[in-house]
Amino acid sequence: MRLVMKFGGTSLGDGGRIKNAAKLVKEYLENNEVIVVCSAMAGVTDTLFALIDKASRGRVRDVEITLSNLSDKHYRAVDDALNDELIKNDVKSIVKELIEDLRRAVLSILYLREATPRSRDYVVSFGERLSTRIMWGALTELGTTCKYLDGGDAGIITDSNFGEASPLMEISKLEVKRRVGSLLDRGITPIITGYIAVNEEGVITTLGRGGSDYTATILGYCLDADEVWLWSDVDGLMTADPRIVKDAKVLSTVSFNEAIEMAIFGAKGLHPRALEPAMKSNMKVRIRNTFNPSHQGTLISLKPEKSDMIVKAVLLVKDAAMISVRGASMVGRPGTVAKILETLARENINVMMISQSVSESSVSIVIKRDVLTKALNKLETALLGTGLVEDIESEDDVNVIAVVGEGMKGTPGVASRVFGAVAKKGINIRMIAQGSSELNISFVVREEDGYEAVRAIHEEYKL
Amino acid sequence: MIKTKKRNGSISLHAEYGRPGVNVLDLLDELDIDVLVDATPTNLIDGEPSYTYIRKALVSRLHVVTVNKGPLALALPALKELAQHKDVILKFSGSVGGGLPVIEFARQCARGDKIVKIEGVLNGTTNYIISRMEDGLEFDVALREAKEKGYAEKDPSLDIKGLDTAAKLVILANEILGIKATLINVSIKGIEKLSRKEINEAIRDGETYRLIGRVDSGLEVKPTRIRREDPLAIRYSMNAVSFTTMNSGVHVILGRGAGGRETATAILRDLIEIKKKLIEVKI
Repeated sequence: MRLVMKFGGTSLGDGGRIKNAAKLVKEYLENNEVIVVCSAMAGVTDTLFALIDKASRGRVRDVEITLSNLSDKHYRAVDDALNDELIKNDVKSIVKELIEDLRRAVLSILYLREATPRSRDYVVSFGERLSTRIMWGALTELGTTCKYLDGGDAGIITDSNFGEASPLMEISKLEVKRRVGSLLDRGITPIITGYIAVNEEGVITTLGRGGSDYTATILGYCLDADEVWLWSDVDGLMTADPRIVKDAKVLSTVSFNEAIEMAIFGAKGLHPRALEPAMKSNMKVRIRNTFNPSHQGTLISLKPEKSDMIVKAVLLVKDAAMISVRGASMVGRPGTVAKILETLARENINVMMISQSVSESSVSIVIKRDVLTKALNKLETALLGTGLVEDIESEDDVNVIAVVGEGMKGTPGVASRVFGAVAKKGINIRMIAQGSSELNISFVVREEDGYEAVRAIHEEYKL
Repeated sequence: MIKTKKRNGSISLHAEYGRPGVNVLDLLDELDIDVLVDATPTNLIDGEPSYTYIRKALVSRLHVVTVNKGPLALALPALKELAQHKDVILKFSGSVGGGLPVIEFARQCARGDKIVKIEGVLNGTTNYIISRMEDGLEFDVALREAKEKGYAEKDPSLDIKGLDTAAKLVILANEILGIKATLINVSIKGIEKLSRKEINEAIRDGETYRLIGRVDSGLEVKPTRIRREDPLAIRYSMNAVSFTTMNSGVHVILGRGAGGRETATAILRDLIEIKKKLIEVKI
């Protein structure tokens, strides 16, 4: 089989773990072709973002301390991951060079007191570039012929939307085939940086948070891989958050649509856009755990084996807030909702849920709690003076519960079972939304009822 | 200009405008131009140097007209994506059927309908050879004659092995059916093994052979037996393409394929098309 294996930051959290990941790769190399994709070591990307922030505010001392911590962390990882002195020295000198480059980039931000999206992408790219070099050392030490490549060198080409770039899939396919394909043909295992790519002019871009998953599926698509394995620190997608529901189980199979719903609602270990390339080419995606490699994980595919599970998972989104806009003059007046959404979009506020009654006299939306004040301010300025709207109310103590499962489609009585289970616990439901795809029912409860509602539904469907 | 090309083999040797040995990529940076017209020879191995030229031109936001099948057969989905991303126009009507407006014709066929199958005799050289074999010549003799008449290249293997037909088929599949295929997706069989015996047997049954490229669910090039009255059973260096539509039956376009004058006409047609689109945008 041709496998793309992506290792998340926690799975590469220190030298020992990198060594462990390399061993896993080595094991599967016996019978498969493997393309390795590495995230940055845990915490490094956050540190780099913080570094940019400090540099653009001119905090010289902070910058120096952070840089030296970063460099220590990676040298330590090299020491722990590698035994062979020759390889170790090799990797150390590569790491040294990279850290020097990073320092220069950060210093220029420091002098200018300004970080552009483009320079941010350049700086954060160092996390993945460092980790792949150490992985290269670890795999070389195990006797593997391998080569490290940055996302752009591997042929992943995106538009110039720095920070959240979109891949140009066909150009990338051509380039990746040429570059990575020829390595595979020669029996060389490619080790590729996740998250980073280049635009068509060759300038470094990044694919947005969690972009390493995306890198893995893009590579899988371009190289016609059989499966993409996303190694992280969880056994797979679960029926519920195990911290809420003690007997939550790992789902052995889910469909792409279910997985996307779950990813959007924050199921750990998955980037929602990452599944697009896999879906397009009908490639299987597996979520696996480097800390428990004997577990088979969750298999995501186009048409999983028939399951009699109506509901697959119950998810909870915490830290949400609800805004209700009311007014009798909104009735029969087109454009009110558009105005609300437009106002929020202009502030870059993402709307998670929206619901309107047929009478049109009120609209409720759910957003993240941390942007509530900003959203309220903007909405009040934009709407209250117009006579359209009488009242804008908000509640900052709500949770969203999402019930996900493809089996709900066309199954009558799902809503009554879901809401019945919640009602039995005496929990009041504030707002409901269901898309016509019937993949997902979402509703809002008060924060204090969140856990209880999840447990009630989990129990009702015996997940 | 034409005199220089004929006498010296390259217009770069023109006394006044020529720049011998100039690098095309540098030229693209240097000149203030709107369109790149690429008439470099076809290379079906890696599409170079044309691929690099076209790509550079698109990235620099130039419109591109090419008659080179190499980069198109190997990378058409990628080049189209890049052109769309950069909001410029990529035209290549001269790459299939030379002066024959095959792609335009297909667009008309597909208006309000859907094309489900494309079949075509897309290579004049092989069709000439098969036609002459029908007349009683051996393969080698027919090939030599085709060379003498200037139909075949010095190295005719691209034609005979079916690669030229396959390249054109890829272009049609992408442009007309929206199938993101490249040359590796085509199953190809040339006419090198086609014997006079087979042709004679076919003729006895009122049939004949043509090297036909076909795309419906997959892409295939192979010598195919068809009825002699089939519109695709054209003779000598002609091209013919038939489009099977879902509702309005089969439409066939035929005429002389490649040739310097025909290809030049196709380039002109593409340039006019680009100009037209640019004017539309302005309004």
